[in-house]
Amino acid sequence: MGLKKLFLRMAAIGLGIGLMTSAALAANLRVLAWDGYADPDWVKDFTAATGVGVDVVFIGSDDEIWAKIKGSEGQDFDVFAVNTAQLQRYIKADLVSPIDVTKLANQKEVLPRFRDLTAVSGVTKDGKVYGIPFCFDSIGLIYDTDKVKPAPTSMSVLWDPAYKGKVLAYDNGEHNFSFTALTLGYQDPFNLNEEQMAAVKAKLVELKRNVLSFYTTADEAQQIYQNNDVALIWANYGQQQVKALQKIGAHVAYVNPSEGALAWLDNWVISKGVRDNAAAEKWIDFMLSKKVSGELSERTGFGNTVTETGSAGGNDKLVWLNNVEDPLKRSDMWNEIKATP
Amino acid sequence: MSGPGTIPLAERRWSLLVTALAFALPVVFVLVPLAIFLGYSFFSVDQGTIVHTLSLGNYFRFFTDPIFLPVFWNTIVLCLSVAAICILLAYPAAYFLTTLKGRWRYALLMLLLVPLLMSYVIKIYAIRSILGLNGFLNKALVGLGILQEPSTLFVFNMNAILLTLTLLLIPFAILPIFLSLERIPQVLLRASDDLGASGLQTFLRITLPLSLPGVASAASFVFVLAIGDFLTPQMVGGISGFTFGRILYSQFGTAYNWPFGAALSVALAVVVIAAILVGERFGRNRGTAI
Repeated sequence: MGLKKLFLRMAAIGLGIGLMTSAALAANLRVLAWDGYADPDWVKDFTAATGVGVDVVFIGSDDEIWAKIKGSEGQDFDVFAVNTAQLQRYIKADLVSPIDVTKLANQKEVLPRFRDLTAVSGVTKDGKVYGIPFCFDSIGLIYDTDKVKPAPTSMSVLWDPAYKGKVLAYDNGEHNFSFTALTLGYQDPFNLNEEQMAAVKAKLVELKRNVLSFYTTADEAQQIYQNNDVALIWANYGQQQVKALQKIGAHVAYVNPSEGALAWLDNWVISKGVRDNAAAEKWIDFMLSKKVSGELSERTGFGNTVTETGSAGGNDKLVWLNNVEDPLKRSDMWNEIKATP
Repeated sequence: MSGPGTIPLAERRWSLLVTALAFALPVVFVLVPLAIFLGYSFFSVDQGTIVHTLSLGNYFRFFTDPIFLPVFWNTIVLCLSVAAICILLAYPAAYFLTTLKGRWRYALLMLLLVPLLMSYVIKIYAIRSILGLNGFLNKALVGLGILQEPSTLFVFNMNAILLTLTLLLIPFAILPIFLSLERIPQVLLRASDDLGASGLQTFLRITLPLSLPGVASAASFVFVLAIGDFLTPQMVGGISGFTFGRILYSQFGTAYNWPFGAALSVALAVVVIAAILVGERFGRNRGTAI
């Protein structure tokens, strides 16, 4: 039994190496992605199904993607993953090519909110589609089900004096301005005028007085939760954070606020220097299959655009993160808020 | 032509090279980076890129903006308190060590220094769980009946920073005090005893004055390490414990305003250098008087 398995495995590995070398001779599809977006078994399945070999390069930051794509004017990669906040600058710099959505059979099967791509802010320009969403997570609210009753529906609960000193917030001016703007009912939380900025600042000073501490990493929030009386956590790390807390036995639940939850959204895009457009389309379509998308969520904990996940219910309002009007100003004002006694 | 008594040419070249290297290392790795830093503080940032024209704008902002000076001043007071508490706790500990004989003295000293081998971050995590509302300290105080219910007195505020920094930095205070106490010649103490001084008199008139250089350098060590720390305030300071280190940190991280961060660092460096000079001055004066 064991021996047979071993032989089979060796044969499979041999076949894999053979395929890799033979594929490398032809023009491989060059993919640039975050770790977790192009796992080896998917790549193998993709090559088996389409006959297209794949070279994957993993990146660790938004800046690195920009450096790699901009550095070669898009010539070094065919497909890459980028979030909605970043995509517009690639379009502006003419580094990506429009995508013919009709070539992507699986795009018709995605969750309703991703079906009409013109409704997804940031992925289209002048009626052309440049990005195909495939992975996202919301920044919602984690609440302790024993301490917070009834279940909250809005971030405004963070200001509730009943939870004074029991709130954990995130130490980042940019996001805090955006979500507070949503809580105040502003339409565009990423472009605030002077008056709105001042109102948000005043509101954040109030929030600070209700907060126990501002955390920076998910681990840190978890440790504070364990050693203190925490009822509410503004969940910058979304699902991953909820699951980690539930794993240690915390009675917590997750909700996307009714005024809209900030959310990041990663998209597949085709670079300007694509060698084989059809192969790139096949890759994107393959990633949108139920199997790969489902596995992506299982493995990373993020939401996908094809199957329902804990990241967002069908009716949850999500606000895709975008570039803010002036990051430096928000950061300075955040310091002022923290320095206010 | 190398006559008797002169150094051979090859050897002289060699020693020149060594001297040059000895000077080059600190120049390249300390002075040049510091100079670059100083240079940066006169630049500015526009739309996320650094503008390389010189101006005093950053310094002007530091002195005129209402948020920086108060935070700066509070941070200095905080770090002075940390230094004072560290000295008060470290002095008796160091004194006790010098009364021990033989290997016990060094074994115990090593034990006190063991925390220095541990990761700084892990120590902060540990202390934070001790200080938490459900932490060891609160549980112990409630268990002993000292408190009715857990107190928020040492949770995420200035007190928490004060306690944590003191705990983290106390080894740096013990060591110099111990060394200066150990250096006091035993004959002086015996002479004082022979001449009829009481134990307290001997301590106040011989031991204490002679150990003050150690106290001065301990204080400046602790102060300098405390004021440069941004991690401890970030992790245990919560909403009221906002320190200068945290502002500085944000300039390099989220704000991406390196020039202003550099200017704030220069302000900090001035205080640090002053503290070191003061510590050294007191340290040396008394030291040479023996």
